[in-house]
Amino acid sequence: MNALARAPELPWIWMAVAAYAVTAGVAVAGVARGQQREKVVLGMLLTALVLVSVGIAARWARTGHGPFLNMFEILLSNLFSLGVVYAFAYWRLPVLRPTSVVVLPVILLLGLWLLVLRPAGGPLPPTYDTPWLWAHVAMGKVFLGTCLLAVGLAGVMWLRRTRLSAWFRDMPPDVSLDALAWRIMTLALVFESLMLIAGAVWAQGAWGRYWAWDPLETWAFVTWLALAAALHLRLSYPISPRLGALMILGVFVLAFLTFFGVPFVSMAPHKGMI
Amino acid sequence: MLRLLSSVRLTLVGMALLCAGVLLSYNRPAAPLWWLVAPLGLLAVNLLAAIAVNPGINRQGGLLVFHLALLGIVVLAAVGRLVHLDGVVEVTEDSAFLPGDVQVLAKGPLHPMGFSKVFFVQGPFTVDYGPELSRSTTRSQVLAPDGAGRLVPMVVGDDHPLILHGYRFYTSSNKGFAPLLTWIPEHGKPVTGAIHMPSYPLFDWKQDNRWTPPGGAEIRFWLRLKTPLRADAAWTMDRKDSSGVLIVSSGGRRIELKPGQTARLEGGSLRFDELRTWMGYKIFYDPTLPWLFVVAVAGVGGLAWHFWRRLGSSGPERTGRAAGFSAGHGALHT
Repeated sequence: MNALARAPELPWIWMAVAAYAVTAGVAVAGVARGQQREKVVLGMLLTALVLVSVGIAARWARTGHGPFLNMFEILLSNLFSLGVVYAFAYWRLPVLRPTSVVVLPVILLLGLWLLVLRPAGGPLPPTYDTPWLWAHVAMGKVFLGTCLLAVGLAGVMWLRRTRLSAWFRDMPPDVSLDALAWRIMTLALVFESLMLIAGAVWAQGAWGRYWAWDPLETWAFVTWLALAAALHLRLSYPISPRLGALMILGVFVLAFLTFFGVPFVSMAPHKGMI
Repeated sequence: MLRLLSSVRLTLVGMALLCAGVLLSYNRPAAPLWWLVAPLGLLAVNLLAAIAVNPGINRQGGLLVFHLALLGIVVLAAVGRLVHLDGVVEVTEDSAFLPGDVQVLAKGPLHPMGFSKVFFVQGPFTVDYGPELSRSTTRSQVLAPDGAGRLVPMVVGDDHPLILHGYRFYTSSNKGFAPLLTWIPEHGKPVTGAIHMPSYPLFDWKQDNRWTPPGGAEIRFWLRLKTPLRADAAWTMDRKDSSGVLIVSSGGRRIELKPGQTARLEGGSLRFDELRTWMGYKIFYDPTLPWLFVVAVAGVGGLAWHFWRRLGSSGPERTGRAAGFSAGHGALHT
């Protein structure tokens, strides 16, 4: 009860995670039965987004700042941004809809992770009060969101080699999914590059240096390098869709570690610099 | 030879080496620079060769801009490291910045050392604190020359640097109090100066320092602030709201001085004129910064343009099963 009084956003977040869980369940069941309830899934996805938005707004009103600081806030904001990117793609790109089997459980995983974290807040450092932070974070969110879309396709290509292959019989062949996945990864490269540029401008204003190889910068650069190398490989050699899918998963794992693993090392984004 | 230098295989080797160099240098400030410079150099040569011989790059505007921008970033970053400077300096309130006080932390071998041209006068500052001493906004007032050479008031902060002759001065958490003292020797002219107490509030429990006046014995100082440190609520560090007593110890004597009071000590008299403050600045010099930004944005713009033209012309939602990435095949150097 005390936790609820101290963090009024929690009920909204719990409901949002529950909504994501139900959405994932309905989506997986629909794909498994070959009867996708697309409008239902999209409607529930939008419901989850509304709930998580209210949760973010309640927390914002309580702490006085956006969700930029600690692991709880990073997960919360990604629950929103990944949901927005996927909802948009689900609506606009029907070919992607069966990827909900892969994508929604990943988003749900972040939601479940969020539930076990303490919702403690903290004051926003003055160096976070800049539009460049917004640009940096927004580009990063779109980057991770686009990566997740490609991971959905990569996951489908791998699931087709399991007993679940029948779930995806109506989807285009692997070679088409592979082509689409790499189109999305090229978008990811653009947004990650923009994230790095906006981050460098922010870092220059915030800490008087544009690049200092702090843990987050290092892993973000390694991710960029891996993505660039994967694109060179994909464009220059006859990479099979299966191997291409593995490369996409590899890049996503690096991006995931950068977003959600590095804060374990430094407690908060760029903590050592605050 | 150029074909060999421009190969994608070399690109991938360079990327792998750069990745290894980055990870090996991670958390190791003393790591050799060549761990990064060597793979970057290899990639730059590879890129230059690819731009020269590969029509997949040099005949596609967007991709050409992107790769030229990558090359430009490497060159600019290298130039930046050759001429850069990182330093810190403490400046006393109502005093001019003294180039000799700058502590250089790191500088490139070609740094021009142009501090002598830099001039500004430090004014008062305020620093907002939240509960538990979380530092918020710093507003440091300075008088600095404008374009016409007139001294005009400016406000400097953690993320609003004072930029003079390419040097960027950022406020930092390092700041504190500075009792202004006048030493009046028994023989000779009086000298006036400030003693910088340790950073406040980080060392609020240790506001002491020592100084040996010309012709006198060593003097120890403690500053006892009247307003106790507040860790439980929001407050603003402001010299206007700060006052204190300066405790002077010399030759076995201990004297408490309020502003304006004088103590007679061995070799002369010491007057505590007033309590001032000092601000610690981080200094950064790298003239390539704006160019880096422009080149990086142009590069991403080129990349986006290329992908838009190559891939956006037949969106996947329209082509469905036929959605193809194959349009990009062979676009890179082989």
